[in-house]
Amino acid sequence: MKTIACYSNKGGVGKTATSVNLAHSLASAGYRVLLCDLDPQGASGFYLRVKPSRKLKEDRFFRDVKRFTGAIRGSDYDNLDILPANMTFREFDIFLSRMKNSRSRLKKALKAGGGDYDIILLDCPPNISILSENVFRAADLVLVPVIPTTLSERTFEQLLDFFRQRNLKHKKVMGFFSMVQATKKLHGDTMTRMLGAYPKRFLAAAIPFAADIEKMGIHRAPVAEFTGKRGAGKAYDALWRELMEQL
Amino acid sequence: MAPRQEVVHTGFSAYDTFDGQLAREGWLLIGTGDKLCLLGEKIDPIWQRGALPGFTADMGDGPVREVLLGIVSPLRRLMLIGEGDLDCRLLALLDDEHKTRVRCECWTFMTKAGPTITRIALQGVRGYDKAFSRLCARLGGFENALSVEMVAGRLFPGTTGYAAKPAIDIAPDGTAFDTAGDIIRNYIAVARQNEDGVIEDIDSEFLHDYRIALRKIRSVLSLFRNVYAADFTDDLKARFNTLMARSGRLRDLDVYLIQRETYLDLVPRDMQPGLKMLFEEFAAERTIEQRRFAAHLRSDGYRREMRDLIRLFDTPDSSLPKGPKADQPALDYARVMIWKRYRKVCATAAIISDATPDEQIHELRIHCKKLRYLIEFFAPLFAADEIRILIKPLKKLQDTLGDFNDCSVQQEALANILDGLDETYADRKLEIAKSVGALLTMLDQRQKRARGQVTAYFMAFDSPATRDGFERLFRTGGGAS
Ligand SMILES: Nc1ncnc2c1ncn2[C@@H]1O[C@H](COP(=O)(O)OP(=O)(O)OP(=O)(O)O)[C@@H](O)[C@H]1O
Ligand SMILES: [Mg+2]
Repeated sequence: MKTIACYSNKGGVGKTATSVNLAHSLASAGYRVLLCDLDPQGASGFYLRVKPSRKLKEDRFFRDVKRFTGAIRGSDYDNLDILPANMTFREFDIFLSRMKNSRSRLKKALKAGGGDYDIILLDCPPNISILSENVFRAADLVLVPVIPTTLSERTFEQLLDFFRQRNLKHKKVMGFFSMVQATKKLHGDTMTRMLGAYPKRFLAAAIPFAADIEKMGIHRAPVAEFTGKRGAGKAYDALWRELMEQL
Repeated sequence: MAPRQEVVHTGFSAYDTFDGQLAREGWLLIGTGDKLCLLGEKIDPIWQRGALPGFTADMGDGPVREVLLGIVSPLRRLMLIGEGDLDCRLLALLDDEHKTRVRCECWTFMTKAGPTITRIALQGVRGYDKAFSRLCARLGGFENALSVEMVAGRLFPGTTGYAAKPAIDIAPDGTAFDTAGDIIRNYIAVARQNEDGVIEDIDSEFLHDYRIALRKIRSVLSLFRNVYAADFTDDLKARFNTLMARSGRLRDLDVYLIQRETYLDLVPRDMQPGLKMLFEEFAAERTIEQRRFAAHLRSDGYRREMRDLIRLFDTPDSSLPKGPKADQPALDYARVMIWKRYRKVCATAAIISDATPDEQIHELRIHCKKLRYLIEFFAPLFAADEIRILIKPLKKLQDTLGDFNDCSVQQEALANILDGLDETYADRKLEIAKSVGALLTMLDQRQKRARGQVTAYFMAFDSPATRDGFERLFRTGGGAS
């Protein structure tokens, strides 16, 4: 069981789009995947049509393993389950410390609850700076979508700084370029610069800016489901293949 | 409920053994396209490549065959029982967000003769147990009606109705005469049902069942003494003997060929070629014998004889000449007959030791067989579970006695072959003779082993529980049923 946190210290960079599509393409490839929607807004759940669990609002939720596994829902796709959103920051923190401190216990609990997962994918909410350290310690890999603009460079540098200060393994950080627009010179230049500055911290696979990905909100399904294997879904396939090599 | 995919239209062929071994165990075997699919209760459909299944031994390896090996007798052929059209639909139960809460697979079978039947398989989605159980409850009324057995039986009406041992009702106030007539009538029907299978040579069980049915009739005639007038009984016995005699050789050859692998395993490797030659001879002879017997079954003479026999027992009360015991109540008659036979079994077994001659064992075998027939004929008059307790150890004893008998019959037959080798198998004589000799030695050992076990199995049969059972059920003056 490996844990991938889709994280960014910036909002609207494609964390949720990445989490949903990556989870879906991993599941189609036969991995058993649990997508955890950690964003109280429940965007991942929205794309997969899973309603937020009412039970989740209770304070004791994550102390109680049974309730945790009982909240997991099967998606409409083989091998893909989802833990729907709606936890408080407090609960989220408890969840993360549980992952960090007793991974085997969590794994056991999931197994007993009927789901023996290969991959747990965390769709992280924006603005969780207080808690991000826990995310970084719990995850095997921190996947960071980066829109190739000038501002993003600074944000990425800040993230790596944070890792150094807190003595976190900065090798866990894996950036990839998100919403890339090939026609924009700024994008091309930024990508060249950042790949030069952080040669080992970026994946070769990038996700282009695609109208189909934007349309996920209309279809309420992973992009590969309504565009087939051509289109934008292919980019996510390349992404997971490279990711799995890293793990 | 919403469709998840286009409806898939195909055709299907359904297979089972003549006696419905699959349907009886709740399975439906179909062929569609170049695949075989086995449908069972509460499990996902099992698939395997292949068309006509035939004998399980001849099927290609795969998960379907794997399951069939545990259900279907190796002696029975899986034959076509019917054909039809098949529609497959994948559906989903959606909530207001259009999220799937239950998956559903519907297979609709359509045949010319039977009704259209849909098999519904539900698959729950994690976290939506409530929706699943609610839908199950909604379909609950259907669920029973959709058991595979019902599907098979209803899709092709009349194809799975065969029973080698039909349940024959005996009215509690019926007479011994009525009972005999009922049994004979039913077993003539069993014999007739097997005729086509013998003629078409589908598998060897048709002839086997055919002969058992006739043998049962013969044993009714000899066991139900004084129920029919003596000369009438003698005449009937002779007629059924004639019918049986026609297929004796064919059955012997079937038995040899069924035992082929067992026999080959019994002898040393260097003796096997000779034995194989012998089996080739058997197979060739069987082909001729089968054709001859099939022609006999189709002949006017045979048809007329069967028609006459059927007519004789069709109106049982009227014309048949009664014997002195004819009007005895069946229950009283059964008790006396069974009790007497049971005593004979015990008396014969009691004097068996290592020194007693083989004839004594044969006699015990015959008594046991008659006892078994009697109990089974009259079983409907007694409580089923009490009968079962008695039959079980009797059956075990009979198996050992049967093994003993088979060995001796086969030794005799093989010895005859050795004697006759001169004329028929001229050039291969020596090789065949050697291997038959080896086989005879092995059979003799096996027979001795079976004989050695007889006493132990009789002791198991002669337990206080069975003794009590026999006394309680059959000893006249004992308690009622
Ligand atoms: N590759 C892409 N091409 C085009 N549009 C995209 C792409 N990825 C994401 N989007 C769109 O950008 C918006 C933000 O994406 P998303 O919700 O995935 O980001 P996020 O990082 O999860 O945001 P938040 O920080 O609010 O959780 C959405 O409207 C989404 O449809
Ligand atoms: Mg998001």
